[in-house]
Amino acid sequence: MGHYRTGILIVFLLALLTGVEFFIALATQSVVFLMLIAAAKAILVIWFFMHVKRLWAPEESH
Amino acid sequence: MAAATTPITKSIHVEAHDVHGGGQETYAERLRMNRLGMWLFFISEAFLFGALLATRFYLWGNTRAEVDQVVGLIITSVLLLSSAAMYTADVAAEHGQWKVFSVASWVTMILGAVFFFGVVIFEWGLFPQIYKGHLTPWGDKYGAVVFAMTGMHALHVISGIVLIFIMWRLARKKHFTAERHWGIEAAAIYWHYVDVVWIFFYPALYLIGTAVHH
Repeated sequence: MGHYRTGILIVFLLALLTGVEFFIALATQSVVFLMLIAAAKAILVIWFFMHVKRLWAPEESH
Repeated sequence: MAAATTPITKSIHVEAHDVHGGGQETYAERLRMNRLGMWLFFISEAFLFGALLATRFYLWGNTRAEVDQVVGLIITSVLLLSSAAMYTADVAAEHGQWKVFSVASWVTMILGAVFFFGVVIFEWGLFPQIYKGHLTPWGDKYGAVVFAMTGMHALHVISGIVLIFIMWRLARKKHFTAERHWGIEAAAIYWHYVDVVWIFFYPALYLIGTAVHH
């Protein structure tokens, strides 16, 4: 279960940000805010799910 | 006079052979190149999706098509959950938990299909007996942009589902091990990339701007 903990945490954060995004859109319609939230979500996915850091990590298997 | 073959001369010979491209790459080296290639592919794809996003802002400005925001939120959540399932499959493969991998792969494929049909039914209106859509690709700039963006994204969702299915079949045939499963990793990061694209498409299509009535 420990291996999956990061995934659970990231999904929770993504869900939270998606909710925030939805309510910001209803309240303010701020393009900058919405795109910043989208960028934050994208960074979370790219870093934790897509393992971008493996590109410059020492050689390993998988 | 022929030189005697010692471990040192053998090693030099092997290294010289490698320099000239005839050597055997190690799996780790190949993996590194595969990852780099995959990310270069993602960068090239980013230009395509970036162009679609720029088109949306150029043509629509601070308006948007009249689409159902609740439907948008639901299908976005479904894609988000599918990404979580794919992460689970990837981690399971990494730890040799093949049953978990199998279940998580199927959950990903099913959620991907739900997302796809959500777009097809509620945005494209291809099944008017279920939901009558009002946008067409040829109708106006709103329909054209919605169909171009969701269409190109849906194509990637379908190809992602096919990739995951192929990896699931290969895993069943014991093609992968916990140490060597680049195919699964590639399918997983491809799926997450599809999610990243939607992360930007979702506010652009559903949230930003004032809805224009047709």
